Amino acid sequence: MEVVVPDLGDFSDVEVVEVLVGVGDTVAKEDSLIVLETDKASLEVPATHAGQVTELKVSVGDQVSSGDVILLLDAAETAEPAEPREAPAAEVSAAPAGDAIGDTAPPPESAAPRATERVDVLVPDLGDFSDVEVVEVLVKVGDAIQAEAPLIVLETDKASMEVPSTHAGTISAIDVAVGDRVSGGDRVLELEAAAAPERLKAPESAPGSRVSAEQKPAAGRSPQPRSQIARQTAPVDEHGFRQAHASPSVRKLARELGVDLGAVTGSGVKGRVTADDVKAFVKQIMLSDGRGMALPAVPEVDFASFGPIETRPLTRIQKISGPRLQASWLNLPHVTQHDVADITELEEARQELKERAAERNLRLTPLAFVVRVCVRALEEFPLFRSSLSPDGESLIVKNYFHIGFAADTPNGLVVPVIKDADQLDIFGIAQALGALSEKARSGRLSPKDIQGAVFTISSLGGIGGTFFTPIVNAPEVAILGVSRSQMQPVYEGGVFVPRLMLPLSLSYDHRVIDGALAVRFTTRLGQLLGRGRELTEGAR
Amino acid sequence: MSDAPGEELRTNLLVLGAGPGGYSAAFRAADLGLDVVLVERSPQLGGVCLNIGCIPSKALLHAARVIEEASEMAERGISFGKPDIDITRLRDWKNQVVGRLTNGLSTMAKQRKLRVVHGVGRFVSPHELAVEHDGGRSTVAFEQCVIAAGSEPVVLPGLPDDSRVLDSTDALELEALPESLLVIGGGIIGLEMATVYDALGVEVSVVELTKTLIPACDRDLIRPLQKRLEARYEAIMLGTRVTGVTTGDDGLIVRFEGEQAPAAPRRYDRVLVAVGRRANGDLIGADAAGVEVSERGLIRVDRQMRTNVPHIFAIGDIVGEPMLAHKASHEGKVAAEVAAGEKSYFDARVIPSVAYTDPEVAWVGVTEQQAKSENVAFVKGTFPWSASGRSLSLGRSDGFTKLLFDKDSRRLIGAGIVGINAGDLIAEVALAIEMGSDAADIGLTVHPHPTLSETVAFAAEAVEGTITDLYLPKPRSGG
Repeated sequence: MEVVVPDLGDFSDVEVVEVLVGVGDTVAKEDSLIVLETDKASLEVPATHAGQVTELKVSVGDQVSSGDVILLLDAAETAEPAEPREAPAAEVSAAPAGDAIGDTAPPPESAAPRATERVDVLVPDLGDFSDVEVVEVLVKVGDAIQAEAPLIVLETDKASMEVPSTHAGTISAIDVAVGDRVSGGDRVLELEAAAAPERLKAPESAPGSRVSAEQKPAAGRSPQPRSQIARQTAPVDEHGFRQAHASPSVRKLARELGVDLGAVTGSGVKGRVTADDVKAFVKQIMLSDGRGMALPAVPEVDFASFGPIETRPLTRIQKISGPRLQASWLNLPHVTQHDVADITELEEARQELKERAAERNLRLTPLAFVVRVCVRALEEFPLFRSSLSPDGESLIVKNYFHIGFAADTPNGLVVPVIKDADQLDIFGIAQALGALSEKARSGRLSPKDIQGAVFTISSLGGIGGTFFTPIVNAPEVAILGVSRSQMQPVYEGGVFVPRLMLPLSLSYDHRVIDGALAVRFTTRLGQLLGRGRELTEGAR
Repeated sequence: MSDAPGEELRTNLLVLGAGPGGYSAAFRAADLGLDVVLVERSPQLGGVCLNIGCIPSKALLHAARVIEEASEMAERGISFGKPDIDITRLRDWKNQVVGRLTNGLSTMAKQRKLRVVHGVGRFVSPHELAVEHDGGRSTVAFEQCVIAAGSEPVVLPGLPDDSRVLDSTDALELEALPESLLVIGGGIIGLEMATVYDALGVEVSVVELTKTLIPACDRDLIRPLQKRLEARYEAIMLGTRVTGVTTGDDGLIVRFEGEQAPAAPRRYDRVLVAVGRRANGDLIGADAAGVEVSERGLIRVDRQMRTNVPHIFAIGDIVGEPMLAHKASHEGKVAAEVAAGEKSYFDARVIPSVAYTDPEVAWVGVTEQQAKSENVAFVKGTFPWSASGRSLSLGRSDGFTKLLFDKDSRRLIGAGIVGINAGDLIAEVALAIEMGSDAADIGLTVHPHPTLSETVAFAAEAVEGTITDLYLPKPRSGG
């Protein structure tokens, strides 16, 4: 079987600077066969198949092009483990890593253990670091793993790195747990090594763990801490790198992060690549990391290992509201403004009206007054009933006054909407609140009952608490949280007098509303709530 | 600190050679926390550049310039008379300049707690270097190494072993002022020395094997220089080779052959050989370290300045052209940073070259001849210094500034400047290339008036069509 020079892109007549194999050598797939060098870069040509070299067709100094035959291979049906070979110094291709200081020791010999040999996998030499924290254990006892498979993740204040397995096999014991501190030479785990060990590749950038039975750690070799980025980036295309419209400092940053500048789209004038572009490129690569989530994942914990557990499915409402809450929390820059309103007079008025309400079969709750006050304030502050247009270029102000209120139900959180609340007197509001709450509790809300709000109120006053930070019901831009009112001493005319104070928490979308406006809004709410009797005017 | 012979030293990083590349590498590595030993064969730090190259030659070129300007002013109403040259005091002043810089280096080495070992180093293994001193031999064991052993003047075979046959080092020594001097080699070094000796009143001839002076740069840049030199020198013989030099009591008899060769042999008091420099890769025992050296004494490195032996780096002249101090010092820093574990690369896009002749010739990036031979589509803007108020008020009308822009991206890709102080002006252009500037960026940058630096902006404006300091006919549309 012929092994040929792969597609070299724009290059042809590229010089062979090194031949890494000889006739009779057994090679595994992906083993490097020869090293080519252009004026731009050097690259290693890997074997396309495993097998034994029967004839070499090139020698050092030859000029080769795509498709030229490098050597003839007696292809093996199954890849024999080849003799480990010292990896040639990766010149350009080692870009993201850079070899460690004093990196002169040859890579570890493949310690070909025979069937079910027990092998200790150790923490590799960590250079200047010791007592490094284990932040993740990626395997468990009984796992069958491949050589090079990551076992644990260590984290220093500088970098995190994975410790790969030196061998394939089945894990028989694990000596470390998350939170442990380890140093070079500590045992990570014990492995029942497989009969035919995976060939050990000379580590290029990954720290190589060692086999304690056969080898003491070679002096001077320190692992190269491997960042998330280094793992993702392909070798740098030097030609593209040279063409990129980027200043020297940006090029330096790109080198540090292992970014191929040629692959970065510049956001600057005339396509200039900025430092931010390089960082954004890295971030994008990190986010596309196999986990499928655009966010760093919360660590999974095997709760059952700590005690009995039970699993309950999320309710339908939870399944719907959860992602919405998260979307709002992530997308909107939230600020919460706290204030207290004196509702002593309002409470008196409410008590006076209670009987009249009861006659109509209504519960006149403080929330009804809060809704009425919010409508007044929304009339005066149109930004609080606006939304950002989808393209983020304009504000859409809604000239209607549908008010949502968060209702706690056995099935979860729902937000029924009082339509045209500006058209209702205090009894009308109380009546709408009561009717919608009843529907919510019994699960009979229709879709139109929960649509169209311009502003939402979340009242926890019936339960307790002082202040909280509600999440804006996006695309609305503000939400008022109401906690439980309390009698408090208020300094008035030289003496403390008892007043009934209502805690207010206004969360808002800071892209639309600035802090001063938010305080004016809550202050206005306080004034309106303080003149409680006015709120009952017009009530018939 | 200098270590006693016979001692065995150990270090993180050994730097072999204390020229601009070597000391930059050593200082940077020390600043990054590595323990560094610097090995230097001569008693002073600074290498060829500081001791027997760039710096002493520039001191003498300054003297030459003063002489020239004083004499030019005679026509303009200020006459100093013929200069009275005290060659000893001139030499002393030159040596003071050198001494001040090399002492400064020694001080900085001490401040950085570098260990300096004086002696000739040769590798004895991939991790050891033997240093031969006057008093014996010591060994330095290292984890990593930067080879910065530089280059030496090429010796022409067949020339007599005679004290009147000089290399650039001898010429800078300024032992005596001969009446006549033949410079073999019309490159930068030969022409700089010719400039000095010419100004000091020596009758100078130049012989160059190729058909042009300073072959690496564009012909149009050379023309103003060549014109001036032809008017002043005894002879400039291009396309001509020296076939033999014989010694006589009253001088050296030189025979020529070629296009502009004189029919009969000529007699010169001195002959300066300046035909290039050869990398010192063969002199350092590289084999013992496993470092591969090419047949021309060069060591091949990657973009991180690593040799084929991963823990050994090489920088400066020994890794090849251009053999320039400013290239070496940048490479030295890259090597030091990589040795210290940083992900540094030599990513400079351009390296400027300067001939400190009179007028100076400087160029950077793509040359016009290179653009043409490589089929790079470009647009060119030139500004003649005869239209520069500053140049004329300096008494000079020779010189021009030329900028080359990529035709598609409009980005600056190269430039050439000839004229006094061209070497200083080229720095702005190098920065503009590194920053990816286009013609508008340069033309719209306000340059101070009246300066020579304006000519860079004017050349850019010429490309933009916004220039008012010249009248250029409109290019035909569609062009």
